[in-house]
Amino acid sequence: MRSVPVAVRLARRNLYRRPAQAALVLLTLTLATGVFGVGMAVRGSADAPWDRVWNATNGFHVSANYYRLGNLAGADLNLPKVRRTFAALAAAPGVRAVGGPWLDLDGRLDVGSHGGYEDLTAEVRDPGRSSVDQPLLTAGSWLASDSDGIVLEQGLASALHAHPGDQVRINGHRFTVRGAAMTVSQGRFPLSLPALIWVTPATGALMRRIGLTGDGLDMQLRLDNPDDAAAFAAAHRSIETSTGHMSLFLETWRQRRADSHSDIDILAGTLIAAGIVVGLLAVATAAVIVAGRMAAQTRQIGTLKAIGVTPRQVVAALLVEHLTLAGLATLLGLGAGRLIAPHLAAASLTILGDPQVPALTVRQVAIVAGVAVVVVLLSTVRPAIRGLRHTTLRSLTARARPPRRPARSARLAAALGMPLSGVLGLRSAWRRPSRLVTNAAGLTLAVALIVVASGLRSIPNRTAITPSGPGSALSGNAVGALYDQIQVIVRATAGLLVVLGIINAVIVASFAARDSARNHAMLRAIGATPRQTVVSLVVSQLGACVLAIVVGIPLGLAVWRLIDGGDLPTVSVPVTDLALVAIATALIFTAAVSLPAWRLAQRSVATALAYE
Amino acid sequence: MQDVVLALLAKEPAHGYELRQRLVDALGPLGQALNAGQVYVTLGRLERAGLVKAKPGDQQGQRNKRVYELTAAGRERVAEWLADVSWSKVTLTDFHLKLVAAAATGLADPVALVDAQRNELLRQLREVQQLALAEPVDSPGGLLLEGVGLRLAADVRWLELCEQRWLARLDLARSERKVRR
Amino acid sequence: MSETTVLAARGLAKTYAADGVPVRAVDEVDLTIEAGETVSVMGPSGCGKSTLLHLLGGLERPDAGEIVLGGRRVDGLSETAWAVLRRRTIGFVFQAFNLVDELTAVENVELPALLVGEASGRARRRALELMERLGVAERADHLPARLSGGEAQRIAVARALINDPVLILADEPTGNLDSRATGEMLRLFADLRGRSQSLLVVTHDARVASTADRLLTMRDGAIVGHTRLDAGSPSALLRDLAGLGGEY
Repeated sequence: MRSVPVAVRLARRNLYRRPAQAALVLLTLTLATGVFGVGMAVRGSADAPWDRVWNATNGFHVSANYYRLGNLAGADLNLPKVRRTFAALAAAPGVRAVGGPWLDLDGRLDVGSHGGYEDLTAEVRDPGRSSVDQPLLTAGSWLASDSDGIVLEQGLASALHAHPGDQVRINGHRFTVRGAAMTVSQGRFPLSLPALIWVTPATGALMRRIGLTGDGLDMQLRLDNPDDAAAFAAAHRSIETSTGHMSLFLETWRQRRADSHSDIDILAGTLIAAGIVVGLLAVATAAVIVAGRMAAQTRQIGTLKAIGVTPRQVVAALLVEHLTLAGLATLLGLGAGRLIAPHLAAASLTILGDPQVPALTVRQVAIVAGVAVVVVLLSTVRPAIRGLRHTTLRSLTARARPPRRPARSARLAAALGMPLSGVLGLRSAWRRPSRLVTNAAGLTLAVALIVVASGLRSIPNRTAITPSGPGSALSGNAVGALYDQIQVIVRATAGLLVVLGIINAVIVASFAARDSARNHAMLRAIGATPRQTVVSLVVSQLGACVLAIVVGIPLGLAVWRLIDGGDLPTVSVPVTDLALVAIATALIFTAAVSLPAWRLAQRSVATALAYE
Repeated sequence: MQDVVLALLAKEPAHGYELRQRLVDALGPLGQALNAGQVYVTLGRLERAGLVKAKPGDQQGQRNKRVYELTAAGRERVAEWLADVSWSKVTLTDFHLKLVAAAATGLADPVALVDAQRNELLRQLREVQQLALAEPVDSPGGLLLEGVGLRLAADVRWLELCEQRWLARLDLARSERKVRR
Repeated sequence: MSETTVLAARGLAKTYAADGVPVRAVDEVDLTIEAGETVSVMGPSGCGKSTLLHLLGGLERPDAGEIVLGGRRVDGLSETAWAVLRRRTIGFVFQAFNLVDELTAVENVELPALLVGEASGRARRRALELMERLGVAERADHLPARLSGGEAQRIAVARALINDPVLILADEPTGNLDSRATGEMLRLFADLRGRSQSLLVVTHDARVASTADRLLTMRDGAIVGHTRLDAGSPSALLRDLAGLGGEY
């Protein structure tokens, strides 16, 4: 394709001549790839730590779990049958090693001095090593037959700030902490409930005496091959039961692993969703820059024709330029991901130990690069199609649409007494509808996000979304703190997107001023005052602003309606907030548009006529 | 040719060989085609017309060794020639030589000559265009006039070029003279 | 300065800094334009003729000198005051990009009329009449992108004339036109001579320059030549042109 070397030359020339534009495109692309990159790096940062503990503890491949539901008073009549079922399961072909079955006792951990308590499960274990699920000690020592000391699950120990030798009160009775340990058999406290401790049989008997009751049984199996777990569970699906009185189910290690990091999932999901929105904003911003570039190139028709440039080559040059920037943005985004993700993930309450960003895979690189490439293609698609279809360079711009009916709206406006400059502005907006939409796109997103952010403000305090009830004196606080963190991140993202929206508006405004500089110079030559030209520009751009408000506010509200349900309370954005958003947007936008227009209008007409 | 030779003699008397040399220098590559004999023939004609005469003391010698000088009538003729701005019979070579001669002899400022000629051409062009406008559109007469106009316009462009070049040349000469001093 | 002087400029000067070196684009220029006359300005590119035109029309501020337009001193006016003045008294025709590309031809032509406050119906009517007279009425609802070079220039002239200004300033009006369109423009300028407008044309095209009554030649920012073109005996010229009259 002979276009290629010319395109490369043009691309290089453009990059040198307008470094600011290239920098802006790079910035928006990098923000999109960066947010995406961080999201992707965060997701999966819990996996390596989980695997480490799974291997170190000889974690299960399939676990069998039984819970007694309802009234726990009195003996468990199901227990013998369950034990028989478990025994049969343990003897099934394919089972290499068995841990348990262990009895689970239901108790209350006293927290604080006001009678608050946390629901607790005590797993009764033989002090010796178990061949499956031997918890990994992080402090102190494991259970011993000659001691009543208990071992806390590490998350619980962390939440209590409890060290070996400390004492905790369970059902009113003091117990000494022997150590803390990690396991993969259930998730980490406080996002996985109830709190878990390990006790010796002797301690268990003591606990029964002080009021704890048995409420379940769990057994952990290792198979010949971990990959057989799903098949094994499927083969034994028949033993699973779920009634009002009991629940018996099997879980594979992969299921557990996937469910073990809900907060990381939420964080990654939020970041990826934010990345998509930033990506959309990047498309809107890049589209404005592309439109401005096309307009500028057609003004240079003479020079370009002299070096034999066709519309196809102009578009090819643009693609080369922006795809190069996209490549750079991909690298920066991936780099940012690996740098920032560990810090974000470190706040997680579910990761077993320090987060570990998974190694970079081709798939990850492809996805992040794909995001950048899609942004570039979407913003260039319009002029690309036009460039392929037509032969004149002028076809690359958004052509003004000739009036179909004798300028009705302008006549109306004139009849209403609107000054000539306003009428001119309206005509200008009406005649280039695609430019209006492009300009409105970024601002619409920004308005929608401000609406989303103000909805966040109105979420009632976190006690409404944390587990209520007396048994969550400890976990309630922690989970609430997590929601706070997520709120902070969402708000920060919204803030970032709002800043981007403002940048987009400023870019739109400066390009609008630049595109109309020539026309305005001509208007001034025939007797329009500088102020009249500024007014006409502002009026012509207000259409984009109105469109942004009219579409952006319902869009933001729709986001809340989508999220509605689940454990979040219904969010309603007060009408005063919406009115404030509309007014603020209009004012900021008008200021953003007037300023570059005013600056340009201060030059002499001769200078403006020569403006390229 | 006659007028140029006259002009060249206006600065100082010279004999035929010198004149030929000056012409060759002025004409550049076109000068190579110049026949030595043509200069002597021209000189003979001019002498018969009474515009030049051989310097006293040389009348007896051979024609090609004689030194010629202008008569009063010759000077008059040179002055007329320099002031003449008619164009329809003039070739580009003629005009070019006029400028060269003016510069070489110092009799007139070449730039002023170009200016005067250009203004005249523009007047003629104006006439032509007015006549052409009186004609109905696309009439044959109008077509001829348009052709005349286009040629005049082209000649004006050449004259503008001449002006630029001669100005540059004179500037250069002036600065050279300053340096030499 | 006589009663009929439309424009008088004295000592006009404008200096630009090109790459740090000051360049005198216009150097102590005096000129006057009488009512109804056509003046052309010629000179090599870079001689300052366009800058001179810009100064005379208030598109650029002079560094020194004074300009008197219609008896009123105008060189110190503000941008806004100049704009209001230009509406009624000066019409511009530029080499290219004369028209606002978002407005149709007729909307472009009626614009100066609207700017002085004329009712839109009347402005539209007068614009269409003017375009009819200049032969471009059927292009009234076309956008500038759809017009040929010659049509666009004629519409620019219509726009320049709509408010009957006393002075029209034209900067290389045929610069971008082919020879046929140039011929049409020449015809147009000739038709305009019957009106009361004064016309200052900056051009490098001899055919355009020769339509003027007076020719000014510029070089290096100064006026170096001043010729009246409306002199000369016709009969001798005609004979010369026809090539009749050989050597006697």
